[in-house]
Amino acid sequence: MNRATEMELMRLLHGELPPGEARALRDRLEREPELAAAWERLERSWRVLELPPPAPIPLGFAQRVAAQAGEQAGALSWAAAPGWVRAAAATALVTGIALGAGVGLWSGDPRRIVQVADEQLSAAVGDTSGAISDDDLAGSYWNALDEMGEAP
Amino acid sequence: MGTETFGRTAVDPGWDALARVAAGEPDAFAGLVAMHQERLLRLCERLLGDVEEARDATQEVFLKAFRKAGDFRPRGQVYTWLYRIAVNHCLNRLRRRRLVRFLRWDDPTEDADAPAFDPPDPAADPAAALEARRRWGTTRRAIGKLPAGQRAVLVLARFEGLSYRQIAEVLEITEGAVESRLFRAMRRVEAAQETETSRVPPREGRR
Repeated sequence: MNRATEMELMRLLHGELPPGEARALRDRLEREPELAAAWERLERSWRVLELPPPAPIPLGFAQRVAAQAGEQAGALSWAAAPGWVRAAAATALVTGIALGAGVGLWSGDPRRIVQVADEQLSAAVGDTSGAISDDDLAGSYWNALDEMGEAP
Repeated sequence: MGTETFGRTAVDPGWDALARVAAGEPDAFAGLVAMHQERLLRLCERLLGDVEEARDATQEVFLKAFRKAGDFRPRGQVYTWLYRIAVNHCLNRLRRRRLVRFLRWDDPTEDADAPAFDPPDPAADPAAALEARRRWGTTRRAIGKLPAGQRAVLVLARFEGLSYRQIAEVLEITEGAVESRLFRAMRRVEAAQETETSRVPPREGRR
């Protein structure tokens, strides 16, 4: 079975096929055993994807969040800084932390460290939904180092 | 389905709350949080797989929304905007987990990204409870192995009941990309489910 047909089955499963196309595909399902088997497999896989019911909302959650927001309202916020200042600072932070982490955490061959770091970072960033921003990258490094107790 | 909150024609009371927040009325924020907390908590829990972490993340998402309220331009639905912040925030948390593991030289093949659900068990029947836990475990491991982008699409489609168009809006990608990610995610999920099935020991009577 080709990918196009499998995609079509998936659209049928999710109710994304126009009514006419859905009817035509359902007709084919009755005539083509291989297609019907693929449909059953997909439907079963989808159906058994289950997670437990969500945990209850903690009491007073909304009030606590609103109170925190109120506390922040008057404070000077990093987010309020002009974009170019934030971008420059984030870039400097990333560079500094990356260098610091490289020097401080490892003592092996520097070329190998850079190579591994590049590969790992590409893997971490490459499989996400969009471009990673400097802020996010800096935040990720900072938090990672902080959690390890390595933050300067 | 989340259609009612994403529908273009539905009146979204979040607009008013958001406008008041942006105008410097922090009290209006409590109403906005109360309105959306349940679904955002659930979304974060589904994406992160950890109840405590999901609560922290949801709180941070709302605080981000609070700080950005003034930048928000009326386009689409408030809930789409909140979903987008939540998904990006959770994906960043997942990235951070990976970076932490990398910096600790943890084994990347370990299943450390798998959500660690430990929910209250609603089923009274022990056999049914056991079976439910088995299914949850299988799902948890399958989702945990997905790249973050695929995980987001699958969670939004399967557990939030969003259409391709709605997911595309939240993630700011094309519907084609949604479909493609969902397809790849389901391929992986099917493979994970098959592996799990093959691990189940044969029953006594089958020998």
